[in-house]
Amino acid sequence: MLTTPRLIAIALCAALNFSIGSIVYLIKLPVYLDSIGTILCALLLAGDRKAAFVCSFLSALLSLIVSTLLINPFIPWFVGTDVALALVSAFVTSHGAAIFRARPLRPAAFIARVLLYGVITGVTAAVVSAPVVAYLFGGVTGSGSALVVAVFLHAGQQLLSASLSSGLAIEPIDKSLQVLLAALLYRATPGEFLAMLQTSGPDQAKRNPGYGG
Amino acid sequence: MTPSGAIAFAAIVIGGATWSADIRALTVLLALCITFGIVETGWRVRKAFAWPAAIVGPLALFMAIVWVGIVARSPAEIAAGLAGSRTSALAYVAVVCMRLFLIALLLRLVTLRFSHLTPLQFIRALWAPLLLKKLLVLTLSWIDTILHAVDRSRTALVTAGVVAPRLALKNVANGWILVQTVWLSVITIAIGRARDKWPAENTLARLDEVLSVPPLSLRWRDGAWMAAAIVTLAAAFAAAALRAAIA
Repeated sequence: MLTTPRLIAIALCAALNFSIGSIVYLIKLPVYLDSIGTILCALLLAGDRKAAFVCSFLSALLSLIVSTLLINPFIPWFVGTDVALALVSAFVTSHGAAIFRARPLRPAAFIARVLLYGVITGVTAAVVSAPVVAYLFGGVTGSGSALVVAVFLHAGQQLLSASLSSGLAIEPIDKSLQVLLAALLYRATPGEFLAMLQTSGPDQAKRNPGYGG
Repeated sequence: MTPSGAIAFAAIVIGGATWSADIRALTVLLALCITFGIVETGWRVRKAFAWPAAIVGPLALFMAIVWVGIVARSPAEIAAGLAGSRTSALAYVAVVCMRLFLIALLLRLVTLRFSHLTPLQFIRALWAPLLLKKLLVLTLSWIDTILHAVDRSRTALVTAGVVAPRLALKNVANGWILVQTVWLSVITIAIGRARDKWPAENTLARLDEVLSVPPLSLRWRDGAWMAAAIVTLAAAFAAAALRAAIA
């Protein structure tokens, strides 16, 4: 399952998660954009959903380790969210792979799929991360969503439900944006790279002994 | 001390800090972390405080605004349906912020302790599966590649007049071209490395060779710090339970 080209794709997507996520974190935008690589990894391996899940989860885990040490020490508590995102990306979002790559582009179908998968991913992420946001951060993560939490708390909601409501208000927008960017990058990826990812390891290794690593 | 020992020590303390909701227990854990920093990093410990302060400072401000300024009662009081007070809200903010500060400080101390090692040496010394070590090294390598690709693509697009070197409206319109250029540039490098460069240089097999050496065994010092963490946690939790029982 984990052939050399797939290892490269995992590391590449992890690096993408880290690079974009850290820029967004450092300039304190009210979105996260730290899972584009995870979603993209699942799309790149859309033909094999099990491999898509394993690879996209590994890419999320790697970016989580690197981000913890270099940028954001509180990321590890969101590992459950990463598992959920990898599951949704591999088993739901990857169904849109053909539409995302269709030439010529079918704008209506493309946008509809992006919104559908973005909302599903966002709701899943909000539900899974709400307990962490409520317990570890007291509902306040330092982004613009803190004010949304404050409004819900002031209205008399419990901390967990305020964090969940805030997540449900913010996450679908953030994840729709991430699915859109991942779909556009997937669309721009050369077919040659996709073909490399579909090739099984041993065959590739036979053709080129240095390849198996 | 070994990297794996330091990570195990950090995991024990962070686990305890996550579990604890008592300010005194967190203070004791903070004292343990500072002791760890002084013993393991010497005077460099002073440098370790800036990063957690920069991360937790804005969060503390946000939390104080939300909890003390707007909500004006703690989550426990909201759950119990009590009117509550700003003092209890402030105490809640203090516990959350101290926990976050402790976690960030400890991670900073661990990275400072091993700052003399290169990332490859650090990863090599870890107790971890070979696959994970290999992926970590590849990820760090790709992060640099992406950053270089951003520089190269930006320079090329500025030269071509597609994006401006300063803040400009056309940068918003053509921003996607920059993202796409970076991605295509990175993918081209990936294809080139996987198909031609790495097989010719036998890079991945050599990386396996470097990473598959047995990791450093835990030393007495690792054990001592882990034992200190467990004893401190047990004492802190016991004291908190005793106080709760008396109250």
